[in-house]
Amino acid sequence: MSRQAQSRPQPTTRRPADSEGQDEICPVCKSSRYLTPTLRFLINPECYHKFCESCVDRIFSHGPAPCPIPGCHKTLRKHKFRTPTFSDLQVEREVDIRKKVGAVFNRREEEFEDLRAYNDYLNEVEDITFNLINKLEVEETEKRFKAYQRAHEREITENASLAEQERASFAALQKEEREQARSRREAARREDAEEKRQLEENRRDVLNRLASGQDAESVAKAGQQVHLKKRMDRAAAAERQRQLQAASASNGSGNVVIKGLRAKQKQEPEASVDPFGGLSFEGRKYYALQDDYVWAGVQETKADVLIGAGGYDVGAFTGRALCEAFAGLGVFVGDEMDERDREKMGKENDEMATKGAEVAATKGGNAAKGKVKDVKMEDPF
Amino acid sequence: MKFWIEDLPVLFPYPRIYPEQYAYMCDLKRTLDAGGHCVLEMPSGTGKTVSLLSLIVAYQQHYPEHRKLIYCSRTMSEIEKALAELKALMKYRTDQLGQEEEFRGLGLTSRKNLCLHPSVKREKSGSVVDARCRSLTAGFVKEKKERGEDVDLCIYHDNLDLLEPHNLIPPGVWTLDGMLRYGEQQKQCPYFTARRMMPFCNVIIYSYHYLLDPKIAERVSKELSKDCIVVFDEAHNIDNVCIESLSIDLTEDSLRKAARGANNLEKKISEMKSTDADKLQSEYAKLVEGLREADTARDEEAFVSNPALPDDLLKEAVPGNIRRAEHFTAFLKRFIEYLKTRMKVLHVISETPPSFLQHLKELTFIEKKPLRFCAERLTSLVRTLELTNIEDFQPLQEVASFATLVATYDTGFLLILEPFESDTATVPNPIMHFTCLDAAIAIKPVFDRFSSVIITSGTISPLEMYPNLLGFTTVVEESYAMTLARRSFLPMIVTRGSDQGQISSGFQTRNDPANVRNYGNLLIEFSKLTPDGIVVFFPSYLYMESVISMWQGMGILDQVWKSKLILVETPDSQETSLALETYRTACSNGRGAMLLCVARGKVSEGIDFDHHYGRTVLCIGVPFQYTESRILKARLEFLEDKYKIRPNDFLSFDAMRHSAQCLGRVLRGKDDYGIMVMADKRFGKKRNQLPKWISSALMESDANMSVDQAVASAKRFLKTMSKPFPANLQEGVSTWSYEDLMEHKRKLEAEQIREEKNGEVNGNMNGHVHGDQVMAEAQAAEEDMEDSDLDAAMMEIDA
Ligand code: SF4
Ligand SMILES: [Zn+2]
Ligand SMILES: [Zn+2]
Repeated sequence: MSRQAQSRPQPTTRRPADSEGQDEICPVCKSSRYLTPTLRFLINPECYHKFCESCVDRIFSHGPAPCPIPGCHKTLRKHKFRTPTFSDLQVEREVDIRKKVGAVFNRREEEFEDLRAYNDYLNEVEDITFNLINKLEVEETEKRFKAYQRAHEREITENASLAEQERASFAALQKEEREQARSRREAARREDAEEKRQLEENRRDVLNRLASGQDAESVAKAGQQVHLKKRMDRAAAAERQRQLQAASASNGSGNVVIKGLRAKQKQEPEASVDPFGGLSFEGRKYYALQDDYVWAGVQETKADVLIGAGGYDVGAFTGRALCEAFAGLGVFVGDEMDERDREKMGKENDEMATKGAEVAATKGGNAAKGKVKDVKMEDPF
Repeated sequence: MKFWIEDLPVLFPYPRIYPEQYAYMCDLKRTLDAGGHCVLEMPSGTGKTVSLLSLIVAYQQHYPEHRKLIYCSRTMSEIEKALAELKALMKYRTDQLGQEEEFRGLGLTSRKNLCLHPSVKREKSGSVVDARCRSLTAGFVKEKKERGEDVDLCIYHDNLDLLEPHNLIPPGVWTLDGMLRYGEQQKQCPYFTARRMMPFCNVIIYSYHYLLDPKIAERVSKELSKDCIVVFDEAHNIDNVCIESLSIDLTEDSLRKAARGANNLEKKISEMKSTDADKLQSEYAKLVEGLREADTARDEEAFVSNPALPDDLLKEAVPGNIRRAEHFTAFLKRFIEYLKTRMKVLHVISETPPSFLQHLKELTFIEKKPLRFCAERLTSLVRTLELTNIEDFQPLQEVASFATLVATYDTGFLLILEPFESDTATVPNPIMHFTCLDAAIAIKPVFDRFSSVIITSGTISPLEMYPNLLGFTTVVEESYAMTLARRSFLPMIVTRGSDQGQISSGFQTRNDPANVRNYGNLLIEFSKLTPDGIVVFFPSYLYMESVISMWQGMGILDQVWKSKLILVETPDSQETSLALETYRTACSNGRGAMLLCVARGKVSEGIDFDHHYGRTVLCIGVPFQYTESRILKARLEFLEDKYKIRPNDFLSFDAMRHSAQCLGRVLRGKDDYGIMVMADKRFGKKRNQLPKWISSALMESDANMSVDQAVASAKRFLKTMSKPFPANLQEGVSTWSYEDLMEHKRKLEAEQIREEKNGEVNGNMNGHVHGDQVMAEAQAAEEDMEDSDLDAAMMEIDA
């Protein structure tokens, strides 16, 4: 109930048909809805005073003007005027404020540790909203509001888009459900009609046959059988239909739940590129890589900002240098030659052996080049 | 008489028993043993209640579990009747056993009927009595008194606290009158005596609502244990009761009052803030901790109980944004304003709860969760504010209940907004119906909680419809025919008038003068031939009015007037009861009377026309529901979608159960007789939907008659009925003495042994066959009788 109505001795109870009482009179031109049933009221979210449409046209058509209500010094613009959703303008204003607050404080329950924390958050938000609505501690609250907005910009947009998605999927779901229900009913209708038609047909058939002089009893029996058979057909068809529907329903619901899909994608991150085709250089058998090497060349490079800024890492260099230095140590050329010979003889291609050769080839850097194709030698070195 | 069913000794308070009563008891026992649910249809006037009570009481007293009986009926008078039967039964048991058993049986009805407070009991409306009583008995009022404040209390309620809590009333069966008398003597409140004694009773008799309506059930029936035996008597309408218990209607007026209530709350809050801010603060702190009100149990009747079913209650802390009292009132106001805005729409809207919530959220930023807690939060607030003039907040409570329901249930409910009262109205008078479509929702907790639920009525056909509608499975489904020593009622279907034109109350022909004249002729003929009373049922008030005025124009009523006084039922219950009284007087003093009433009205449900009060019942037309109702349409759609019940099947089921109710009105016992006329060509196809006991008595030749034929047949029937019929002819056929019963048992056993020898009986099947067998035997005996004995007897008498 609006404040205006409250100050008066409850006109609403006496005139239930016209529940807004005197609110239906324009404060400027005093025309009332009682005399002009087509009267439309507009408000401006600056001060929520309401005027009739023609007054708005008259006063604000030539640019911004002050609100004509005495004591209200707000400047109003015509394009801001709109039809109020609620008859209680207090609520209208409240909802506008809530819109503003809700756009910023849009955290979701799942972001919180537990329910208690979420409830405390809700309480907090409500306090802020309440203050804004009732114009309590306005400045302080505004400050809190702005601060929060600045601090959480990213989450806010994220949550807003989430909410948008949810809304869209909800709408889609609703539409689909309605559609399904409609088609189901239609099918039932059709079935009914079909049944009736066939019954009729059957009857006519029997009559025809009787007319053509067949034995009454056998005709009746035949008719019944036909009827029975048709009925069974229909039952089977209905069953099929149901199955189909069930299938389509399960498909449909799978499509709509976008949330679920998103979560799945996250779980399987794209595999990172592996230039060595699964080979590992971690097993350093012959040396240990240290964090730092006291060597002038390295130290200088390390200190040079220009080099470091480009992303160059001295560690990578030392590691590679050491790797190169010891690379040949695990390779026994004699063994490899034997292996190659064995293969040349066209005997069974032993997987394990090939693999061993691969490893050796990579480490050796030159041996068995022709045979191993999937490892590009020039890449790592 | 005393007899045994298997190992159970049953004391039956009459010297004779009907075969169907015996069969009924056997099936009941089987259900109880198996611990499942059942649906039983027992012809009206065959002592259903007494057989039910005597079996269950025997069962209670014999087995060590002492399972409690909860007997639910529809109306006050039925509850009283059952209490009286129970009292007689217990007296008989005492006489037979030679000692009084430790036994308590109580009935519970609303405060309005049980209140003793000198000023409260004079209130006319039940809800005002409730509210005023609450303000005299609430826990905080008492606290106030203890603090020395000047508040009124009800002395009748306070006196209860001086008694031992488990012995507020001595053992025995207490009728409602008895309770009132005892209460007045001892100065104790009968209502709360009954409420508090419920856990200590062996038998509780009360109305459906105490079990089905979550708002009441939560308070009243919470403590009942799982092994209670629950009986729903006269349950043919139970699905509608279920639906009503979860439906809410809102009007502009109630919204306005609710808004005023919210404003009052706001005022009260700011008052309290200046005087007693601690209290609000402590409530707030409690809500933050997520504590439930610990003293709800003590407060026997909170202001608003949660309208959602116990399984669906959210057991968590109240959401943060309605924790503060002022936030909550602002929240309520916003919600009410939203509803008001919706009411302004000038076209019909029907939408599901999710889409309503979505729209609500878009417009007012009200989320689903706080909405769900509305009822609970309001209760807590009212208690904190210690409001005593609770009746002013009733509309607000309704809105809160609505909020909770709409946010709790996604499916099975529908919101329908009807801006105009009728299609022709031009001044909007909007109503928002929040209607439950699924009867199974409300009754599910009952089936889940209690192991044996018995659903029974005189007319509950087709039996399989009910398990389907209410979502449960049965162990026994049985319909009993009526065993009769002679054909004492005559069902007929009249499809044609004397001019061979078909008669029907169908939409196309209902106001066709020829059709109405045929109905009129039927009326004249039966008014001439029927002795004493005739009851005529129309499908609706509207149709009744139009037909009566047409009859008046045709001079038909003048002719009826010659032989019968004509009385009419109206929607006004006072007028109707006056008409009924006059009707009874006219029947009793020989003038004879005709009562014109409506198949869904009060008369068709609760009033018996036994003996000379009703010798003929005429059903003019099939009482279909008004299918243009949007609520009904929605329900039909729902039933089709969810339960695969076709709309037409449901409508015809519903129409036939009401017809059966009407027809059953005239036959209230075995010594009664009457004619049942169904006058509509559409009845012909619906024969098989009648209860078994009616349809089995409906002969093929009587199923498609013209008015003349019906008249001839009725005359013949009345002639046989007018011959004296000595009671001893019924013996052994439609009534059994102890010897007959034993004879039957012996036969049965012999049968069983024989069949066992053949080796084709398993225990299960045996049980199932039992009831049928009783009936079959009785029927056979009956036929024998008709052939030889009856003639002989008649001849004797004639001579
Ligand atoms: S306690 Fe009993 S007697 Fe007192 S007002 Fe309530 S119902 Fe009436
Ligand atoms: Zn104006
Ligand atoms: Zn202004």
